[in-house]
Amino acid sequence: MTDDHSAEISTEDLSYTYDTGRQPALTEVSLQFERGKMYALLGRNGSGKSTLARCLNGLLVPSSGRVLSCGLDTADPLNALAIAGKVAMVFQNPDTQMVGATVEEEVAFGPENLGLEPSEILRRVDRALDLAGITGLALRQPLRLSQGQKQLVAIAGAIAMEPDFLVSDESTSMLDYTARLRVLDLFERLRRGGMGIVHVTHFLEEATLADKVVVLDAGRVEAAGTPAETLGDPGRVRALGLDPLAVRVVAYELGRLGHAVPDDVLSVKELMSWLYA
Amino acid sequence: MALRLRLEDVTFSYPLPGKDEAAALEGVTLSVEPNSVLCLAGANGSGKSTLAQVCTGLLAPTSGALYYGEERIEGRGTLREFRRKVGLLFQNPEDQLFADTVEKDIAFGPRNHGLKGDELSRRVSESAQLVGLSLEKLGARSPFSLSEGEKRRAALAGVLALDPEVLVLDEPFIGLDYEGRHSLESSLERYRDERGASIVIVTHELSHVWSLATAFGLISEGRLVRFETREQLLSGDTDIGALGMHLPQWGALARELLRAGISIGDPTDPRALAGAMAERRGAGGGA
Repeated sequence: MTDDHSAEISTEDLSYTYDTGRQPALTEVSLQFERGKMYALLGRNGSGKSTLARCLNGLLVPSSGRVLSCGLDTADPLNALAIAGKVAMVFQNPDTQMVGATVEEEVAFGPENLGLEPSEILRRVDRALDLAGITGLALRQPLRLSQGQKQLVAIAGAIAMEPDFLVSDESTSMLDYTARLRVLDLFERLRRGGMGIVHVTHFLEEATLADKVVVLDAGRVEAAGTPAETLGDPGRVRALGLDPLAVRVVAYELGRLGHAVPDDVLSVKELMSWLYA
Repeated sequence: MALRLRLEDVTFSYPLPGKDEAAALEGVTLSVEPNSVLCLAGANGSGKSTLAQVCTGLLAPTSGALYYGEERIEGRGTLREFRRKVGLLFQNPEDQLFADTVEKDIAFGPRNHGLKGDELSRRVSESAQLVGLSLEKLGARSPFSLSEGEKRRAALAGVLALDPEVLVLDEPFIGLDYEGRHSLESSLERYRDERGASIVIVTHELSHVWSLATAFGLISEGRLVRFETREQLLSGDTDIGALGMHLPQWGALARELLRAGISIGDPTDPRALAGAMAERRGAGGGA
């Protein structure tokens, strides 16, 4: 029986070292990412989460082990263009990504590099602007937009590649709440449309929206599972250098008072429902 | 105790057309007390960074007035003295760091203010200690070779070395993780307690300052629309979502409990919240 790995990203014993002799940034990371799911990648500063994100689309190539992006080995330079079309990436600071004079041109940049027909490029740009909800900004100058709008433009540029996966390296970190909600809502719609989303974030509340959470520490996978499995125990979350959810800290205290709260209660709404159950 | 810093009906508009209009200020009146932590919160483009710069004298109000104690700050004479008392930590530490070693960077301000010899080195080492930065390990390094968290701490040490009575920080928690945030929080608490300092934190993310701040000024479209204590924020009807922000989970939970008529003690204390819920649960158990 042959498994179809063309719809997955898999890392197999992935290790990565920036400079030989230095501590590795990633050590033997083995993970599977599927389409149609959202993954949250968490960890303290320097834990290796950005390095892992960059390994998923071949921006960084493993020092040892391998990464198969949609069945393609990222270490093979001949796969680089194909992988760039399948695994798109957005970063924390959208300014570093902007090259176009207008939003439309900006979003067209990726598909143009794929060598597509002009009519196909046009179709993709329209669709991406529509999905991101920024059709009205098409003729504006990207650098004059607000930070939140710029990030939506950067994501639209990634969507226009029509990738199987979107990797977000802290794309919501610099945004205010309203802008962040808009980006998260877009991620959710893309996920429902079949895209795999890998979202690196500092916000545990964002991670509760994911299908699966991966926590890295010192370059190793220290926890992987559902939000309830990974974020439920506040002591463990703290030990991994993360700020535990308030709801789980209070749930822990309730447990000590003899009122056990189930692990999958992660939001204020869920905790209030538990209270009245 | 007398008020320390006061803005009276301050308006500010950028002189050049085309500059982000939303970043202007209109009719802002606010005061900062000694020994306190005030959070100025607003969405991106609300004018909060402009306000931080007015509070530190970097931008002069277009109209209205800035007072320090009883003295109105305007013109070079008063401004010079004022700037010795008020420190600003920029959002990006690289805008602040410039010397070729961390130690020289921290020493730059106090040296400029005439400190020398032992007094200067004592001030530098106290400031480094206050932010948890080891001069033995990092003092001779270039500030630009440090990690993000260390850069932030080095820049803060440079500001604290001037011994400001009012410390204004623009988005100091962005890019820091849980441990970095907590270490910065405790440095600020220590500085407030030791010096009776006033700390003003400008942010778009209330969760970063939830337990630290005692008062919250909410800014929208250049106006200070609310000025409330944490308790007022929880029990009142302020629609924080409409201002482009949200209550952190701690606050959202406390607010829901209060709305349900459950009285809580200190809303930042998990045991107080759990205790109140356990009581409610126990009382409702038979229903």
